[in-house]
Amino acid sequence: MSAALNDSVGSRRHRDWPKHLVLIAILCIELFPLYMMLQVSMKDNASFIQNPWLPQPPYAVTEVRSAPVAGQPDVVHNRTATWTEVLHGITPALVPDPALISAEKHFDLGVYRVGNLVNGVKIVGPYVANTVFVALTGTFLSLSLAIFGAYFFARYRMPFAGVLWGAFMLLMLLPGVANIVPLFTLLKDLGLLNTLSALIIVGIAGGQVFNIFVLRNFIEDLPKDLFEAAEMDGASHLQQIKTVVLPLAAPIIGTLAILAFLGKWNDFLLPLIVLRDKELFTLGVGLIYLDGEYVKQWGQIMSAYFIASIPLIIIFLFCMRLFVRGLSAGAVKG
Amino acid sequence: MALPISRHKALREWKLYFFILPSLLFIGVFSYFPAGSAIYHSFFDWQGGDNKQLIGFENFSRALHDPVLWSSFGTVSVLIVFNLIKMIPAILMAVLIHRLKSDRAQYGYRVLLVVPMIVPGLVTLFIWKFFFDPNLGVLNNVLDFTGLKTVLVHLDQFFGWDVFFANAPIGWLSQPALILPSLFLWGFPWIGAVGVLIYLAGLQSIGQEVYEAAELDGVGPFQKFLYIELPLILTQVRLSLVLLIIGTLKDYGLQLVLLGDTGGPGGRGMVPGLWMYNRAFIAGEFGYACAIGMILFVFILGLTYLNNKYVRVDK
Repeated sequence: MSAALNDSVGSRRHRDWPKHLVLIAILCIELFPLYMMLQVSMKDNASFIQNPWLPQPPYAVTEVRSAPVAGQPDVVHNRTATWTEVLHGITPALVPDPALISAEKHFDLGVYRVGNLVNGVKIVGPYVANTVFVALTGTFLSLSLAIFGAYFFARYRMPFAGVLWGAFMLLMLLPGVANIVPLFTLLKDLGLLNTLSALIIVGIAGGQVFNIFVLRNFIEDLPKDLFEAAEMDGASHLQQIKTVVLPLAAPIIGTLAILAFLGKWNDFLLPLIVLRDKELFTLGVGLIYLDGEYVKQWGQIMSAYFIASIPLIIIFLFCMRLFVRGLSAGAVKG
Repeated sequence: MALPISRHKALREWKLYFFILPSLLFIGVFSYFPAGSAIYHSFFDWQGGDNKQLIGFENFSRALHDPVLWSSFGTVSVLIVFNLIKMIPAILMAVLIHRLKSDRAQYGYRVLLVVPMIVPGLVTLFIWKFFFDPNLGVLNNVLDFTGLKTVLVHLDQFFGWDVFFANAPIGWLSQPALILPSLFLWGFPWIGAVGVLIYLAGLQSIGQEVYEAAELDGVGPFQKFLYIELPLILTQVRLSLVLLIIGTLKDYGLQLVLLGDTGGPGGRGMVPGLWMYNRAFIAGEFGYACAIGMILFVFILGLTYLNNKYVRVDK
């Protein structure tokens, strides 16, 4: 409707295709790391060096060479085919290999190193499980507490509510930068070092301020009559939260939950100083550990990265609308 | 606004305080207590254990003469400038998407923008670390492939940088002089999905009739940006500017992952946060680390104050 209107009012001169061109070019570069991760994850180092840019064609080449010592059987060597070999057939090399007897191209799905993925699951799987546990529990508890807290501030102007609100908002201004050193010793004194609970608890504390801030504004904007009607019916505050706040605030709670989950998923500074045992590693520490330890088998590493992204891909698929709209709407609200 | 409540009714509703109690407890123990503890311990010689010795302002006077700390503040200032430049593509991208006529296309681009977010931030960092790899890395391959490397080598010979050589791969993260350029290059083309979506939301409030009037007046695309679009997203731009500066000042995860806890070769990527981390968890000087944290904290607090005073964000 509006597009048609716009077209009739003189923007005929301005075509959209140059914009599309620029946008697509930028997006291609933006998506390039993702593409590299996916295509390298199916390769081994040899085929990655041979063909770093494009996905592997599903062909293998079997080369038969005469043995270096006479009288021994021929050496059979399997390698992945390059794209030129797939498209134009196998051409003799510029410097002919005198030992080469035959080279044959054949269709072979075995060039895709599914083993990389299996290996990736083996390496990163436990880390992913730990992270899912920490992020889900943390997000759930953090938001539950925040809903109660926001309800307290939004429902009535209770005595001392102003002071308490100030205590929360002050933290919004104070950067948490100096905290990490004393936080470490605090967790040590509480005996929480090297536990996943430490991450959950600190995550809950960190999420309170922002979530309460957003939720308070939202709950205050809900029609007061709803609460009063519920109260008439004899609903307690808990029931009011259940019947009024939760259904009406579901979209904003969803958006906050996704943001909280993403934040916890990406956190690695706290886990890095809290966790010691390999069994407890979350994704962040695990990946840093992996980066330091492994002889670089890029295929395996990239497939580990891919496995690390799968939970977010699942969330993305289910909540994309919530995500895109939520971010935009949240931005308008401030 | 919350309803006012009579003292009498508030007394009857005393149970409501239990709603806020858990949150209060959590921020008290895990936000306020560590903050107070940091102030307290910045006056001590403290290894993180039970033994500590009051040394007054010694940690601070040491920090005052600490060359690493001061150069790290220099580095972080450069990084802030970099990050300000890196804000531009997101703004331009948002304007481009907004100017598309088809709503479907706009939504499609928004979704495509969010797609890279499925890769955890840390993984993106590691993929970039892989891009920077001198031998197999994508960046060097691209430079070789497009012939840009020869250009760089010629420029090097002309200006005498002494970092690019024709016969050696470029060591992006291993040559001190290339650390800062690498930290700039990182994340190209610097489109943060969240940023673009926020700007788009701001642009959405521009009515179609404003554009129509502008087109009737023969306003060019650049002027449209300057006089119609930029003023409307100025609030968002300022807000993300402030968040960006504060974020850059306190962040050190990027440097820790790309360069390690010493800030890379020559310590060229050392930032104050990383130095604090290094002193606490590598050297075990917890008291000194607290003092560094306090100094950084004062800087950020000052910026927050300036921001609240001069950069009004209208809600």
